[in-house]
Amino acid sequence: MTAVAAAGQEWQRVSPRYVWVDLITVLIPGAIVTGGLTAVPLASRIAWLWLLPAAALVIVVLLLAFTPRRVRAIGYRLREDDLVFRRGIMWHRVIAVPYGRMQLVDVNRGPIARAFGLAELKFVTAAVATGVVIPGLPEADAEALRDQLVALAESRRAAL
Amino acid sequence: MTSPVIDGEWHRLHPATPFLRGGIVVIAIIGYLVVQFRDFFIGIFIGSVAGREPHADPFTRWLLEHSVLALLIVLGVLVAIVGFGWLSWRMHAYRVTDELVEEREGVIWRRHRRGRLDRVQGVDIVRPLFPRLFGAARLEISMAGSDGSIRLSYVASARADELRAGILAAASLRRRAEQAASAEGAAPLAVPGPLHPRDTGGATSRLQDAIVARANEFLAPELREPVDAGSLVTMHPGRLVGAIGLRFGAMMLVVLAGAIVAAFYRPELLFVVIPILIGVYGFAAREVLRSLQYSIALTPDGIRVGYGLLSTTNETLPPGRVHAIELSQPLFWRPFGWWRVRINRASASIRDGGAAQANTTILPVGTIEETLRVVGLILPDWSEPPVFTTSPARARWLRWFSWRLNGFAFDDRAVVLRRGRFWRTLTVVPLARVQSVGVEDGPLTRALRLARVDVHTVVGVVRPRVGALDADDAVGLWRDVESRTLGAMT
Repeated sequence: MTAVAAAGQEWQRVSPRYVWVDLITVLIPGAIVTGGLTAVPLASRIAWLWLLPAAALVIVVLLLAFTPRRVRAIGYRLREDDLVFRRGIMWHRVIAVPYGRMQLVDVNRGPIARAFGLAELKFVTAAVATGVVIPGLPEADAEALRDQLVALAESRRAAL
Repeated sequence: MTSPVIDGEWHRLHPATPFLRGGIVVIAIIGYLVVQFRDFFIGIFIGSVAGREPHADPFTRWLLEHSVLALLIVLGVLVAIVGFGWLSWRMHAYRVTDELVEEREGVIWRRHRRGRLDRVQGVDIVRPLFPRLFGAARLEISMAGSDGSIRLSYVASARADELRAGILAAASLRRRAEQAASAEGAAPLAVPGPLHPRDTGGATSRLQDAIVARANEFLAPELREPVDAGSLVTMHPGRLVGAIGLRFGAMMLVVLAGAIVAAFYRPELLFVVIPILIGVYGFAAREVLRSLQYSIALTPDGIRVGYGLLSTTNETLPPGRVHAIELSQPLFWRPFGWWRVRINRASASIRDGGAAQANTTILPVGTIEETLRVVGLILPDWSEPPVFTTSPARARWLRWFSWRLNGFAFDDRAVVLRRGRFWRTLTVVPLARVQSVGVEDGPLTRALRLARVDVHTVVGVVRPRVGALDADDAVGLWRDVESRTLGAMT
């Protein structure tokens, strides 16, 4: 556990079902790219061009293999005055957003996530760089969390 | 709070607006036509001198044969243009109340825009050369958000000043609002210049007055506002030219050398080199022209920045609207001790190309004393913290030259980040304006036990971040920024 990864403890995890959502969102474009690259050696009949789809396949398999860990690495925590969010296994990123800085809270449901009954929560501050998106929350939880955050933001509103 | 311009009534824009907006286009079209039909016009006016030679061009011949019809068509088009211009001017109106600024426009497509005064991020007065000759100015009231400004183009110059003062006074929630309003009353904003004659009687005198007033406006497009003595910073044009020359100097010399070499050996290459030459020198010249007559001063309504020689711009930033400040020093400025100051603000940061850059540079070049004075206007009594927490020695691998300098410090109101050995920058972020804060590391930096901290502010030219810090320091910085931001918010 490095210093950055340990910057906050007791993380709330996202739903384990989100692993499937992430797997599918990797798998679909991965399959399309790999399939498309297969056409290159088939059409040109040059043997070493098979390296292209092979490389794509390796990348997709690696991405798939790391998906459960990547999903487990996503965490958030509601503290008294701010929300702390973390993600990443290779590149750790930990972000703290004061409630008073939240301009909007969005609940988004993609088609795949909806099939699993999940939603993602997006926090918008005046800074684009904040970029805090919590994926893989059960829909009811997402709505409850949104209402809670809006209430918190309202009580700690500060001028821009 | 009450100012004569904040009357809640709808007002129209400057009567010359349609002409000023479309004026350049109309003149260009007329010029084009004159050049195209030079022979035709010569034929009409001094046809006998040239002799009635049959024209080879069938279009010209047709015109000569149906000159009445052609004139009617031209007249019809002119009437349509003028009529539409007049109509759109009639439909374009604005009003300012105690709480809102509203603008409505459009003949076919209607547009109605309103902004709340307590969200005003700054008020700019832009006077492009051509409208300036007519005593007109563009007033831009910027709101938070990327496309949130209300632009009134054009209003009478003096009225723009009044409107700005009124809007800023109404917008400021501070106690000083009353003072500002009374100060406006005391110092009339119109044109009390030294050339202004006292007596006003008779038509000729009034005309003279108008001319003198226009001349005053043109020569000194500054606001007549109470200015805090000692806060004024102005700039010598020579230094500006030198500074911009040094900033682009290397590139300009390379391009020039390339042009000379190309001219000797491969003359046809000049077709490529000359446009580049024009581009580079043109950019530098534009930078200089835009920043001439630069001045910055503290007024009761905020910080006022004015610049421009032919087209002038006058911006006012209400206090506390600056989200990040960056002091930077390009390598070649080092011997002269010059610095540049740029800021992030919540509005108009993603505006059309070149204008956006001017908008973010608050001091194009200044000595260290002037730089600190400008920063002092934004954050009163600010001074560089004496002790910085810098990168550890192992960060040498990532910051070859700058690891001793690369670091951060706090004062009671701001977090200060320092970067760079050759191209030095110092970023100051007021804690009350921090939006969020992140800390991150990657595979390489983790192996070195280093990490990077990003302080998130509104989008702009300044990106406050510092990398290659000791991981524990970085987490400490992250935690401190967050807790101090929370403290500063209350």
